[in-house]
Amino acid sequence: MIGSVVLSLALACSIISMIMYYLSFRGYKNTLGYGRIAYHATAMLVIIAAVFLWRILLTHSYEYEYVFSYSSNDLPLGFLFSTFWGGQEGSFMLWILFTTIIGVMLQNYSSKRDDLEPRVMAVFSLALVFLLVMVSPWFKNPFAYIWAEPVFIDLKYINPSFVGLPQLGNFVFSDNSTGQQFIKMTSELRNILNSMGVTVSQFVINGKGLNPQLMNFWMQIHPPMLFIGFSLSTVPFAFALAALMKNDYTKWIKQAFPWVLAGAGILGLAIMLGGYWAYEMLGWGGYWAWDPVENSSLIPWLVSIAVIHTMLVQRKSQSKGGVGRFLKTNLILCIFIYVLVLYSTFLTRSGVLGDASVHSFVNPGALIYLFLLIFILSFIVLGFGAVVYRWKSLSKFDVQDENILSRELALFTAAIVMVASAIIVIVGTSAPIFGQSVETTFYVQMHLPLAIIIGLLNGLSMLIKWKKSNWNDVVKKGLFSLLASLFLTILIIVLGGVYDIMLIILSFSSSFLLFVNLEIAIKIVKGNKKMFGAYVSHIGIALFILGVIGSAGYSVKQDADLVKGIPTDVLGYKMLFTGFKPIDNNTKYAFNLDINKGDVFYKAEPVMYVSDYTNSIMRVPSIVVGPTRDLYISPLGFDDSQTNNDHGQHISIDKGKSVAFNNINLTFESFDFPQETREAMMSGKDFKIGVTLVAEKDKLKIPFELFLINKNGQRSFTSFESDKLNIKVTLENLAASGKVDLAIANLDNNNPNVVKTPVETLSIEASIKPFINLVWIGVVVMVLGFFVAATRRLIESREK
Amino acid sequence: MKNKYFFGGFIIVVFVGLMGYLVTQSNIKYEDNINKVKTENKTVKATGLWVKEKDYTYDNKNRMLTFYMKDAQGNEMKVVFNGAVPNNFKSAQSLVVTGKYNDGYFMANSILTKCPSKYQGQKVQSSGI
Repeated sequence: MIGSVVLSLALACSIISMIMYYLSFRGYKNTLGYGRIAYHATAMLVIIAAVFLWRILLTHSYEYEYVFSYSSNDLPLGFLFSTFWGGQEGSFMLWILFTTIIGVMLQNYSSKRDDLEPRVMAVFSLALVFLLVMVSPWFKNPFAYIWAEPVFIDLKYINPSFVGLPQLGNFVFSDNSTGQQFIKMTSELRNILNSMGVTVSQFVINGKGLNPQLMNFWMQIHPPMLFIGFSLSTVPFAFALAALMKNDYTKWIKQAFPWVLAGAGILGLAIMLGGYWAYEMLGWGGYWAWDPVENSSLIPWLVSIAVIHTMLVQRKSQSKGGVGRFLKTNLILCIFIYVLVLYSTFLTRSGVLGDASVHSFVNPGALIYLFLLIFILSFIVLGFGAVVYRWKSLSKFDVQDENILSRELALFTAAIVMVASAIIVIVGTSAPIFGQSVETTFYVQMHLPLAIIIGLLNGLSMLIKWKKSNWNDVVKKGLFSLLASLFLTILIIVLGGVYDIMLIILSFSSSFLLFVNLEIAIKIVKGNKKMFGAYVSHIGIALFILGVIGSAGYSVKQDADLVKGIPTDVLGYKMLFTGFKPIDNNTKYAFNLDINKGDVFYKAEPVMYVSDYTNSIMRVPSIVVGPTRDLYISPLGFDDSQTNNDHGQHISIDKGKSVAFNNINLTFESFDFPQETREAMMSGKDFKIGVTLVAEKDKLKIPFELFLINKNGQRSFTSFESDKLNIKVTLENLAASGKVDLAIANLDNNNPNVVKTPVETLSIEASIKPFINLVWIGVVVMVLGFFVAATRRLIESREK
Repeated sequence: MKNKYFFGGFIIVVFVGLMGYLVTQSNIKYEDNINKVKTENKTVKATGLWVKEKDYTYDNKNRMLTFYMKDAQGNEMKVVFNGAVPNNFKSAQSLVVTGKYNDGYFMANSILTKCPSKYQGQKVQSSGI
């Protein structure tokens, strides 16, 4: 109750705050104070609600549906803390929490700058209102009680001392196919329990736990970072609308700039952390799969990068007086950043992409779908409606063209390239809405030329001046970078074996980007350090692209079966599987590998385990990180069922086929699998499945049958012996696809009991990722650049 | 001024054209009717349920996963996948397999498992005792 009440109060306060701020903008004198109080009250209430959510998670209050669904008693404190954002409701809470905190900073910021506060905060509060409606009791409320909607709870989560109570009879159900038993939790059951003096939290004593894939250090950081980025995206929207409301477009650029830069930096870092998590945890070897969820956070980021470039032009061109260039572009793109964040939320949370994503979101219901749609449409209408409304006065500020060789044009082109990239990703990501989908090659092929343009364009634009330049100047300044990048490209071709023409051009273009910016950065390191940001970011991008060329274009991989004790050559490394050991209280198995290349020795420890949560095998890769390359080892499977068998052999036969063994022809004719057996198998009773075979030697033909016997859940197999044929055939396995595995041995062997020594085999997929470190370093450097620039623009925004 | 629009328009046309071309080239359709999957000659993303009763087999030597999938109408097909058993396979309620139907089975090059438990409580169909 407390949580829901607090959130409802927060919603009420945010509405009041929005109205009061709007009235202040309309000229009312005494409403500003109320707006501030209401906003701060909203923030306090949201923080209280968040703390309350953490409290019920940490105290294992399973009477809340959210706590039951995403946490359990055995989670260590750190993961328990991050179950906060383990589900949809909680991740909305996290988004709201950061939005309100950023709002407090924004209120402080805007109150010190002219008459900015009422306009900016009115828009910002409106966004908060919508978010708070989302977690209200009608939609994704994290504080819903477990009995609010009937839910089936596995008996293992129920306190055993209450299970036998006769009053529960009507609420116990069992699933025939699995034999599991469930309690149907309803408000009626809650009333019965209460009448016996039992609370629901005494009754439900454990939760379903957190998805094991989310139990990773990076998953504790990535979602908060992402939601800070999402929250910051509200700010440019608020500034753009604030400018449109007042019909005054000079100062907003200066005031919004540090926020846009900081937002792009944090969102970029968040996206990279998600990629790093995928690389380290998911085991498919990559950091980016063009998955809809990844894409949908990339889209607003790309647009932020675009607008940073055109905002810079507007800011710079204001020095001549006037509002500057690209005003309309800037307003529209700033509005788009937030609209696209909402669109990405819609894509990933409404269930429209149900079939397309590994993040498998289940359809959350028509109501939330509708509300998300209303949410986006409201902000589209509000944002673009305001632009249309002011179109005439905006058109007054249109400025004439500059020379082709001006930095302004180059910056504008950069923005176009980023927007083009965003459009590509939007088209690809939205395709499933129309029952279509694109392969990842679509993104790759579209982005290759764009990345080349980015490198060349940026390198060039750094060499040319604002306004006009002449070619001689540009060539003279760029000579060193040109030669250096040619040299590096040749080096990449020769040493790296890069022969793909597009990748060669891309290598050149990103090297050019790197050297131009490096040269300038070194020049200004002695001078004005606050100018550093752009160059640092561009160096980061160059490193990133080079890293992508290496790790994506030139990754090699190989599957291998490593038999325990036998060294195997894999991709030039000698790998020795030395056995496995249980870890984490015997819940997981670590497979030890000794690896060496020449005199260098490494150890790797891929992990596999069966997760209770997903009831499946989970695989965690092991990465040997090197300065120039990573060796990436994903476990595929472990097998100790095979045996070394000195006196016989193992064979498998497809249905209807024959196999020869010592002149004996063995034919697998059919399965003996009647309807009764099928029914027995389905209902979990004992059963036996027969396999009819024929052994033939010369004119002698002996049909026989072997059985798989399932008794009390234990499987066993029968064998057949024939003195005439001198053979013993043992069934080892059968597959519904029509295949049997048999062990055959001669009877006259001195040792009829075949000596079996188990062979432990670990199957792995190994891959080498050249220069993948540059991907991480590149992004971190780029983000550093954003923060340097944001700091500089923050200081600037204080100037009158 | 005119040059600007001409040039810009040209770039946009090339961009949109290229994108359209690549979309049709790399386009894969979703198909939830297995009978249609069987007759389709192109790579498709077939959606359906894993037939748990028929279990699955995994051939360690050749790394072949074989299982059966059915659609809402109950049409079944055999699916063969060359690779490891996906992480969430056993708890998967529905599957999306990308590949092509040929010679009596569907050769999948990727399997997407969808686990209802991940983001929403598992609601169980059951009968009373």
